[in-house]
Amino acid sequence: MDKLNENQAAYYPGCALLTIDRAYNNSSKLVSKKMGIELVEIPDYNCCGIGEMKSKGAASMYMPLRNMMLAKNKFGSKNLVMACSVCYHEFNRSITRVRENRNELSAVNAIFKEAGEFEEEYAPDGEARHILEFLYNEKGANEVKRNTVNPLKGLKVAPYYGCLYSRPSMYTFTDKKPQMDNSERPRFMHEFLEAIGAETVFYGNEVQCCGGRNLVQDEETSFALCSQTISKAKKAGADVISLICPKCAGALDVNQPKIVEKFGKDSELPIVYLTQLMALAFGFSKKEAEFGDMISDPLKALKEKGF
Amino acid sequence: MALEKQEQRPAAEKGEHIIARHLIEDESIKEEKNLVIDGVDVSGRWNTFILSRVDSEFDRSFFREIKDTVVGSRINRCWQCGMCTASCTVTPLYRRFNPRAFIYMMQLGNLKELKKYIDVAWRCVGCYKCSQRCPKQVNPAEMMEALGLVIKKYFPEEVHSKLKADEDVKKIYDDMIIGHGRLDLAKLHTSAMQKTGRTKELLGKIERDAIFKMAKDGRAFSILRLGKPHNWSRSKVAIENYLKNLNTIENGEAGV
Repeated sequence: MDKLNENQAAYYPGCALLTIDRAYNNSSKLVSKKMGIELVEIPDYNCCGIGEMKSKGAASMYMPLRNMMLAKNKFGSKNLVMACSVCYHEFNRSITRVRENRNELSAVNAIFKEAGEFEEEYAPDGEARHILEFLYNEKGANEVKRNTVNPLKGLKVAPYYGCLYSRPSMYTFTDKKPQMDNSERPRFMHEFLEAIGAETVFYGNEVQCCGGRNLVQDEETSFALCSQTISKAKKAGADVISLICPKCAGALDVNQPKIVEKFGKDSELPIVYLTQLMALAFGFSKKEAEFGDMISDPLKALKEKGF
Repeated sequence: MALEKQEQRPAAEKGEHIIARHLIEDESIKEEKNLVIDGVDVSGRWNTFILSRVDSEFDRSFFREIKDTVVGSRINRCWQCGMCTASCTVTPLYRRFNPRAFIYMMQLGNLKELKKYIDVAWRCVGCYKCSQRCPKQVNPAEMMEALGLVIKKYFPEEVHSKLKADEDVKKIYDDMIIGHGRLDLAKLHTSAMQKTGRTKELLGKIERDAIFKMAKDGRAFSILRLGKPHNWSRSKVAIENYLKNLNTIENGEAGV
């Protein structure tokens, strides 16, 4: 496999983005390419463990770290870019833990050795990058502004960061490294949205939880949390909520018909991904940004606003 | 005069204004319904006291078991400030879910108390607000995973009877993540619905619309193309061997 050049980055898609959340995958690639970075998928990637493996010791760290090894072996890239916040958390957790704890590092390396897929041992020198933080630090909000040909004037957007993009700082290094976001009041998405001409609203639930982790077992909790977030955003006058995590989409978008059924029309608001809005502002069509994939029907809201 | 006022007040339950009331035994609360001291009315909540108690049954072996796991390795750092409970997403929804108290019970090895909370202990949504705000970096969010391991080891019957659906879903996740190396979200959703006895809902309008939409725009077929990572079987065997040879409570087979 060829090594990557400086305008390419190794990209970990994750299971959701290649299947039901292709809207996020496609629009992330479009936006990055327009900004001058090509995202190249690592072949043979495996699931990060999505937090269900946490109580299985070093096996939970093997899952993400195998992908770091793939990026290094196949692309010669230490770092790995990903769009899913849950994957981002799992990667960060594993990398930080093995960096700080030698026993855990040797336990992970023992699994690597037994699997026998790679010749060398894992050395914790790479980093996982979330696409929002990656684009902000590599290119910046000015680059977003420069690429905007179709500013989203008059569109009121409620930015929703969710949990694992900024928390906990012991893994994500928010507040700790100067280039990272703030953990309690993140602002990178606000800056991107303002750069593409949209208006951000303050609604107080930016870093609240959607209950996505227990979505399968415990819909009740998730519905209550999501209904609160959506109705607060709606009250603050938002036209759409913008996301950076496919699990939040699972809770807020895919389940929205059920939430509306339970909590009423106050909990009805179109959900989009940040990168979809950016793609639209960069001059791509609504079809290319896959707005039609969202269950909560953002197409209607965008049409009303004249986009 | 003071007593007349008291009669108009709605009858309050004993100690009901204590925030974590469920943690205290009824007989430990001392409260006089009607009490006037030196002409001052101190009825009801004004004279509530919680009797002090002595906890002497420390089970240090239990503490060690948790400390040896990856998720519970920082249990010794907790100094019980309660920041985790104060910032918890779940506590306002389920009052009996109290991370601080759970960590305290684990520190003491108080299985008798822990047993009362089996039905809410798994409700953590993993939002990591507690870990973010914890002043001692105890990482309570992951401590809840350790709590799950403890419950699984010491109360297998309760887990089987009360948390069967939860365990079944966990098994589906394990089979997919370790067995196939990738997660098929559509299959996860349908098999979880089947396991929890909600197959009927899959035929409801909302679910049907979503499935139809995905079939129409082609996403349903991308799920079929997801496949397995090349050579995953070697990783699978390595992970399974690792889990089998673990000598902590993380080893599922030894636990149950």
